[in-house]
Amino acid sequence: MIAALLLLCAAALIAVPHVLVRAERLRRSPRAALILWQALSLSAVLCLLGAGPIAWLRPRPLPPVPGGVVTALATIASLGVLIHLLVRTHDVDRRIRTARDEHRQLVDLVGRHEGEHTRVLKSEQVAAYCVPGARSRLVITDALTALPSDQLAAVVAHEEAHLRERHDLVLEFFTVLHTATPRFMRTDAALTEVALLIEIIADRAAWQEVGEVSLARAILSLAEAAGEQVPTGISAGAGAAATRIRLLLSDEPAPWQTLALYLFCVAAPTTPPVLSVLVAG
Amino acid sequence: MPKNAILGDLEQAIMDVLWTDGGALTVREVLDRLTARDLAYTTVMTVLSRLETKGVTTRERDGRAWRYRAAATRESMTAQAMRGPLDDLSGEDRQAAILHFLSEASADDLDAVRAAMAEVEAKGDRPRRRR
Repeated sequence: MIAALLLLCAAALIAVPHVLVRAERLRRSPRAALILWQALSLSAVLCLLGAGPIAWLRPRPLPPVPGGVVTALATIASLGVLIHLLVRTHDVDRRIRTARDEHRQLVDLVGRHEGEHTRVLKSEQVAAYCVPGARSRLVITDALTALPSDQLAAVVAHEEAHLRERHDLVLEFFTVLHTATPRFMRTDAALTEVALLIEIIADRAAWQEVGEVSLARAILSLAEAAGEQVPTGISAGAGAAATRIRLLLSDEPAPWQTLALYLFCVAAPTTPPVLSVLVAG
Repeated sequence: MPKNAILGDLEQAIMDVLWTDGGALTVREVLDRLTARDLAYTTVMTVLSRLETKGVTTRERDGRAWRYRAAATRESMTAQAMRGPLDDLSGEDRQAAILHFLSEASADDLDAVRAAMAEVEAKGDRPRRRR
């Protein structure tokens, strides 16, 4: 019975991202929203992982369903999810790490070295990115350094925030979960939303340093440069520039709203275990 | 300076020599063209073979010596660095591997961006708030 409950819980939680991507208000407290996403995902995983062991430890069949069915389902869920997640993590981690290593070597060779981790590429195109990881690189172009100094400062502060706060680990966590979820259950919009939240958090760091006007100008400069390229794949970039600038205009959410979000964050992963204990007792 | 940084600088200096010259050079010729450096022959030899392992130089036999050349022009390698790891990775992995400040914007997006920008300019900087 507890196992069946956990499976139901997991199903409900897996449906949540489809609803959550529509809640644009959450973007105004990006940090709390990002933690909420993580908490809900973690909670779904906990439910799935817990169902198997509980079905074996406390086999209490539901009235209309034979106990064997629940136990079998729960076991498949737990074991399957565990193996699947381990394989996915290894897979995603290896691919991303290899790509970053190769890319770091590339920018080290062709870029001008400015300090320990900044590389400047000889290019007419305005662009900036970071290669995260243990030996991170901040990559900018000559054309970017030619921007007014406040815009340049905004871009650098934004990228440094990514590196300092290890946003790559958050993205990797969601990439693993995303690719581990069966195609018919997952939504690309969820991954895009999480990536956008991460950009907003980095924007806030830049905004603290240079103010919203300089940051907005920098976003515009890079949007104009990016507009000349052909879009590929999913990314936070599509339509994100305008969204990010509009968020600089919006008011701070009320404190109770952020507090409520954090309460949800705590409640999500604690509910399944507490629920199991209560029903068992 | 950490050992890796020195090695990184040397790798870059050697690639500069190969790119500038354009031809296939022996270890000795590379060493002679590295100005203002007090380097051992074996150091340059080691770095050149490291670069070959990485696939950024190629080498060919010339009598008893190897001749090294850059595998691609500086321009094409810079273009590759601009693209990011686009070719080998799926969309999801690509997004997580490298974090772009802004990766794309369509013409429609740009209009929306300019409209939003006008509003920010009109409002101006507000006093900084705490995060």
